[in-house]
Amino acid sequence: MSEMRFFVDPVRCIGCKACMQGCSECATHRGKSMIHLEYIERGTSTQTAPMVCMHCDLPTCAAVCPADAIKRTEDGIVQSSQAPRCIGCSNCVNACPFGVPRYYPEIDQMLKCDMCYDRTSLGKKPMCASVCPSEALFYGTLEEFQSRRQGTPSNTFQFGAQTITTKVFLVLPAGDVGLNMDVLSHMDARFEPDAFDHLDPFAHLEPLPMGEHL
Amino acid sequence: MLKPSGAALPPRHDPDPVMVPVMDVTLDRRGLIAGVVFSLLLTLAVYLGSQRFHGFDGALAGYCFATVFALFGVVYRYAVWLQRPATRVYWKRGWELFWQPGQRLRNTLLFFKMGWEKMLEQRFIRKRSRDRWLAHQLIFWGCVIAILITFPLTFGWLRFESDFTHPSNYLVVLFGQRLEFFTFPARGVIGWLFMHGLNIAAVLCLAGISLAVGRRVKDEAEISTQRFDNDIMPLVLLFAVSVTGMMLTVSNMFLEGKFYYWITTTHAVTVMLWLLYLPFGKFFHIFQRIANVGVWFYKAAGANGPQAECARCGEAYTSAMQREDLKAILPDLGFDYRNNEQAVDNWQNLCPGCRRKLMTLNQFRVTGKEFM
Amino acid sequence: MARPPLSREEFLQEFGPTLHYAPPGGFRTVDDDAALVDTHCCFCGQQCGIRLKVKDNAVVGFEPRYEFPFNKGKLCPKGIKRYLQGSHPDRLLHPMRRTPDGYERVTWDEALSETVSKIREIQAKYGKDSFAMLSGVSLTNEKSYLVGKFARVALQTANLDYNGRLCMVSAGAGNKKAYGIDRASNAWDDIPRAKVIFAIGTNIAECFPITTDYIWRARDAGARLIYADPRMVPMARTADLFLPLRIGSDSALLMGMLHVIIRDGLTDEAFIQAHTVGFDDVRAAVSHATPEWAAEITGVPAEKIELAARWYGEAETGFILHARGLEHQTKGVENVMSCANLALATGKIGREGCGHSTITGQGNGQGGREHGHKCDQLPGNRDITNPEHRRYICDVWGLPEEELPGKGLTAQEILNAIHAGEIKGLLSICFNPLVSLPDANFNREALNKLEHYSVIDFFLSETAEHADIVLPGSLHEEDEGTSTSGEGRVIKINAPVTPPGEARRDWEILLDIAQRLGRGRYFQYGSTQEIFNELRLASRGGTADYSGITWEKVVNNQGVFWPCPQVTERGNTTMHIEELDSVHPGTPRLFEGGQFYFPDGRARFNVVKWRESAEVVDDEYPVWFTTGRVVSQYLSGTQTRRIGPLVDQFPHPKLELHPRLARQLGIQTDDWVTVTSRRGQVTIQANVVNTIRPDTVFMAYHWGGRQSANLLTQRALDPISKIPEFKVSTCQVRLATPEEIVEGENARRLSAVTEKNLPAGYGLNARRQELRR
Repeated sequence: MSEMRFFVDPVRCIGCKACMQGCSECATHRGKSMIHLEYIERGTSTQTAPMVCMHCDLPTCAAVCPADAIKRTEDGIVQSSQAPRCIGCSNCVNACPFGVPRYYPEIDQMLKCDMCYDRTSLGKKPMCASVCPSEALFYGTLEEFQSRRQGTPSNTFQFGAQTITTKVFLVLPAGDVGLNMDVLSHMDARFEPDAFDHLDPFAHLEPLPMGEHL
Repeated sequence: MLKPSGAALPPRHDPDPVMVPVMDVTLDRRGLIAGVVFSLLLTLAVYLGSQRFHGFDGALAGYCFATVFALFGVVYRYAVWLQRPATRVYWKRGWELFWQPGQRLRNTLLFFKMGWEKMLEQRFIRKRSRDRWLAHQLIFWGCVIAILITFPLTFGWLRFESDFTHPSNYLVVLFGQRLEFFTFPARGVIGWLFMHGLNIAAVLCLAGISLAVGRRVKDEAEISTQRFDNDIMPLVLLFAVSVTGMMLTVSNMFLEGKFYYWITTTHAVTVMLWLLYLPFGKFFHIFQRIANVGVWFYKAAGANGPQAECARCGEAYTSAMQREDLKAILPDLGFDYRNNEQAVDNWQNLCPGCRRKLMTLNQFRVTGKEFM
Repeated sequence: MARPPLSREEFLQEFGPTLHYAPPGGFRTVDDDAALVDTHCCFCGQQCGIRLKVKDNAVVGFEPRYEFPFNKGKLCPKGIKRYLQGSHPDRLLHPMRRTPDGYERVTWDEALSETVSKIREIQAKYGKDSFAMLSGVSLTNEKSYLVGKFARVALQTANLDYNGRLCMVSAGAGNKKAYGIDRASNAWDDIPRAKVIFAIGTNIAECFPITTDYIWRARDAGARLIYADPRMVPMARTADLFLPLRIGSDSALLMGMLHVIIRDGLTDEAFIQAHTVGFDDVRAAVSHATPEWAAEITGVPAEKIELAARWYGEAETGFILHARGLEHQTKGVENVMSCANLALATGKIGREGCGHSTITGQGNGQGGREHGHKCDQLPGNRDITNPEHRRYICDVWGLPEEELPGKGLTAQEILNAIHAGEIKGLLSICFNPLVSLPDANFNREALNKLEHYSVIDFFLSETAEHADIVLPGSLHEEDEGTSTSGEGRVIKINAPVTPPGEARRDWEILLDIAQRLGRGRYFQYGSTQEIFNELRLASRGGTADYSGITWEKVVNNQGVFWPCPQVTERGNTTMHIEELDSVHPGTPRLFEGGQFYFPDGRARFNVVKWRESAEVVDDEYPVWFTTGRVVSQYLSGTQTRRIGPLVDQFPHPKLELHPRLARQLGIQTDDWVTVTSRRGQVTIQANVVNTIRPDTVFMAYHWGGRQSANLLTQRALDPISKIPEFKVSTCQVRLATPEEIVEGENARRLSAVTEKNLPAGYGLNARRQELRR
């Protein structure tokens, strides 16, 4: 059987947070979720951004850790911080290009997604990809993915001068290989009131009537 | 108030490594020097503390050698560890902030407070899990008691002698000085405690080990991530040390000294293995944990100074000091997140939240759909 | 006078809602010995398979149930955290009697004696029908059947109705009128085979989340998604065509689409000829309904309506999905029939990849509406006014036919009758009308007028606070039985734990009351399976025929789709349950070969004429008001408002309004706003989002008290289905005054209390922040 892989397809995400709730149910997480899910900007869209650890081939988080607390195992999984070592400095939180690690002040430790190592190392699916209703998070072989899904899974990301390759795949439109992580086109005056009028799905509607109660 | 440091750290400069003849291994020069210096200092302390080996117990020489070697190993590894780019930042900044003028007394008090909370009470472990904290505390205090008793004994700093005036009493000899005021009956409470101090330590350790092993056997997450050399080996070593140590007492008290020689040898071997494992294995986290106190200073100072704002959303998300320090070490580590675009000239100027959102935003951008 | 005896603060302290976070015994890293029990989620009509972790007679966690074919392990947040409703600090553990200053603990004997004597007293004084019963469809099929029989045979009242009245009755009535049967036309497996999916008035992502995967599978195979909704809900965001229609204008949109389909010759004439009746009348009725006409009413551009019609008409296969958005209207049945007209005119029904289904909102919304706890219905979806049907059921029950009551009042009508003093006593189970029925102020007045009210519940819901006698019943995981999912699949609910304290299983309580009312001989059941077996016999020959289904078959086949009738001569005539056969494999897809459930086998076209909703905007109330759900809450929230992590996702209702409207009113996100309708007013915080029509505001309805959306909605009912018009009202919106803000903040403070003794290191505030983002 070919290797099991993890695919992320944020466009499908319905923002239900089943992944977060499922993640927090994992026996080792004690009610905490390692996956992130947040609205991009609720004012303009219901689009949410799900974020699991991408499991970089050369993890920035591990490199900036002063305490050697983050290890990448041979199977390509970047493990969460080792409890005895993590000194809670948040270097990894600030350096990860994907914004994945989270610092928990109450336990003075960073915890991050380890692709449910307790499950995946036994051949089970990770919790988030098990429960995700829309398969925005999908765990299976590449063949399985290709047999039922469109799009090209890609695991190469360009951050300015830095290329990062990951174990986890992002689904891109058919034919696209590699994603340039652009910031500038997503900077458009986010906090001005008219900024998103051009994105208004209701822009065609008549102006509202003016009245005593309006 | 503790203030962050704005100045850039001095550039790194790595001394040439030292070739070990025949073995085709290189050693770090700083680590080597520090290790040798500390080992020599300890040897000197043993020499002086035992009144030029007058009070040195030859039977314990093996333990003493192993301890000196373990010290060399720990210091060597610590020195190498401190040269890692990220560690070096915290080490340098930590001392810089600690010695900040006008803060030194307060910092020293804080140092002890933090030392208590983080190193001895280990409050952070209790927050993680009570069971784990209990196991850890039992093992920790077991080891501390054992070290406090055995190290002075093997170094020849401490011994017990019969009190001439009351033959049933013992008295403490420290650095060759007979502490006449500190005599105690051999069969009294203090005597019992001294006699069985190591057994008490062993019992604490064994209790802690059984809790830890119980967890490692049953906990799914631990089972999946633990490695024998890193996670099981330390428990096995501690177990062996504790059990063989207690067997000495058993042999002495109940078996009329049967197997005593055999047991002492085994015990010596296990203790030496433990000492030699100290610098390389999991136990090194004991020494790394001290950095936690430095990090506390770093964070406290950072919070009092300018904050780094996200280049996209404008939210402050960390201290400016930490962001700049991070950006400074990333090239050393082989990462280059710089960008030609002016507005965001470095990916590292974004908050974690925006970085997460940008993956979705960029995926959406390439799909070319109308509404997000 | 059934007034609540305690202040809000006192209720909060004593009965919650308490936000429950940690499983019994705290988070355990080590969960050895926990048994795994296969069962289902109780929090919507999809009835997802789930595996519960059980230890020491308590549910302590969940595992995905990958083997269950519907969801294959997938779950929404409600399913994941559903286990936290067990071992809950608010759980009612013993019977209680209301006193002027609170509730006192009584024995079961005292509680039931009082209930029974009140029933007798009220019925003797005012007549049998003056004592009503309200029920709900979170109950299993067995309990639904039992409640129907109990009310008619033990209580002997005609006035029994259920909260499905607020849910699927429009679809039920519309389906029966068009197809002669009330069930989703297909198993969901047909959705991925459709080439076009038309979703109207349904927020699939939040109310039926697992269905999103079926739709995406269709889209991956090249299907187009058309989405009609006044809000750009999560699934609409990615749709190929979004039709942002004005609330209450659904039938105009559907008529416009049918007009285009007929005009452009996209009808399936052969299918219409062979399998339907009445197309000519419908053709005539939509002849004037041009896309431009529809655009005028709906606010959707005419070209988009044309495009939608062409996409649906031209596609080889197509699936229509709808839910409360178009059903919760005074035109609910008409809207459903309009959808059926589309499906029938294009022949997109009864074959692979083609169908027309409602999305059931409630757990057992499908099964619960088949077995006789609707006011006009007998088991097997039989009609209580049909003499033949009455006779058959009386035969099964061994009841003299004259003792079987006739048709009673519907849910809202029962409350109206209570308000009018015609109904004096009430027994309710599994229903929280004070939160879920429209015009909450009116219903509160009604409840206060009751002479006696007994409630069977597991938590003290807002409605139960008015009860004289509180009888602690059972949770979903404390009783076994079957339920029927939205796609018509009968599934098995298992009971990993027993009711805690003195709480009892619901059916045992009903049996006890029946016994005390002297009707025990009709209720000789030793287990729920015996109830199911009687249900099989009672449903035999009805449209909802379960007679060929056994519990074993349900378990072995991972569910059975009804109709599952008898296939043998003996099975069709016997009155002995053990002689029923179970050969029939079930019916995943209805209407194959164009066979519909009318005597002539033909489907019916139904003429729908455009008319306005009961309330339309005017100068005084110029903004449309609509309600709906959020993904983390379920119905009136009696269960889900007590589960901490779910509440944290969406802790309080917010008013969604478009930036254009907001600017006109000077409102910004998180401003406190007051919404006023002709019925009442609510002060909540605003959420300014451009995902809603500028002329419409939206509020989720899961909260009670002063946070209840149903303070604003109206009691206008659909003339056929009697469903209230929750989805269309009008209102004023303005910034709240300082006094109103204080009140709003007060209501928020009193909405829930956080459980004490959370585990060390849980980091509650950070967890809340993460879930809210």
